[in-house]
Amino acid sequence: MNDTLNLPAGLREAAQQAVSACVAEVDGITSAVVATVDGFDLASAFRITQDAARIAALGSSISAISNVVSQEAGLGNFRSVTINTDAGFAIVHAVPRSDVELVINVIAGGDAILAQAMHRINVMARLLASAGA
Amino acid sequence: MKEYKLLITGTMGAGKTTAIGAISDIAPVVTDVANHDRSVDKERTTVGLDYGMLSLDNGDRIRLFGTPGQARFDFLWKILARKALGLVILTDNSRPDPLADLAVYLDGFADSLDTLPCVIGVGRLDTHPQPTLDQYADLLEARGQVFPIIPVDVRQRADVVLLIDSLLGQIEAGLALDLDLP
Repeated sequence: MNDTLNLPAGLREAAQQAVSACVAEVDGITSAVVATVDGFDLASAFRITQDAARIAALGSSISAISNVVSQEAGLGNFRSVTINTDAGFAIVHAVPRSDVELVINVIAGGDAILAQAMHRINVMARLLASAGA
Repeated sequence: MKEYKLLITGTMGAGKTTAIGAISDIAPVVTDVANHDRSVDKERTTVGLDYGMLSLDNGDRIRLFGTPGQARFDFLWKILARKALGLVILTDNSRPDPLADLAVYLDGFADSLDTLPCVIGVGRLDTHPQPTLDQYADLLEARGQVFPIIPVDVRQRADVVLLIDSLLGQIEAGLALDLDLP
């Protein structure tokens, strides 16, 4: 975790609370990481050991490339991308803020329900969009 | 018509995005975002890739890809290096230890550099003369590598074109050598 980030007061705490609850309460979600748009993790929670910094960097790249695709296709701002796999799915979701843009990264196993995860991530995104001073 | 894929990498802030923008015939694809790392005085940084296209007088085309500079994005270095025919490594001589910076990319692309032509572009040498080009050459020699080392102002199209020309010369020479093989 990068401690040199200039974050609004209370944002990191709100993000940690959100990811911890997400992993604890949503069946099948194994990892949740909130990161800055340039790939620094600021809060994370896991059911299994994962590298939060790595997930943050991956999510940052996916978000940035997805945003370019959205813009070039005339589809407006990027919101989220879902990566479906044989054994589950990963979701990268943008959290637009005027001070520090964030990215929510969630990884889920095959037993997770996509709609349930999406709903929870949308709730997290709304919360984090206005969290902090 | 030939098409070349060239990759530009190097230190954060060395000017990879600027270099591609300086020579691309198309509006470059950029994936810059706000930089939140206070240890680097830079407003925006590339976290995905840069892309541009350069058409040569003979009709050949060069597809230019730029990498993020930070090592935490090294997974993209490997992806972007696939099928590349040449590598440009940009350094920034105003940084604390440009030779250590260069070593990061020589190590990060070590597998590719066994066969891939490469050129080193040294930025801000006019205002920060140390390390010298000789010191860069000494580093390469100590590693058993020989690549052209060229001062560059990435804002100047002619400077960036010189880097590309140097790479294309190596690529053409390599292709010629391949043709000589039995």
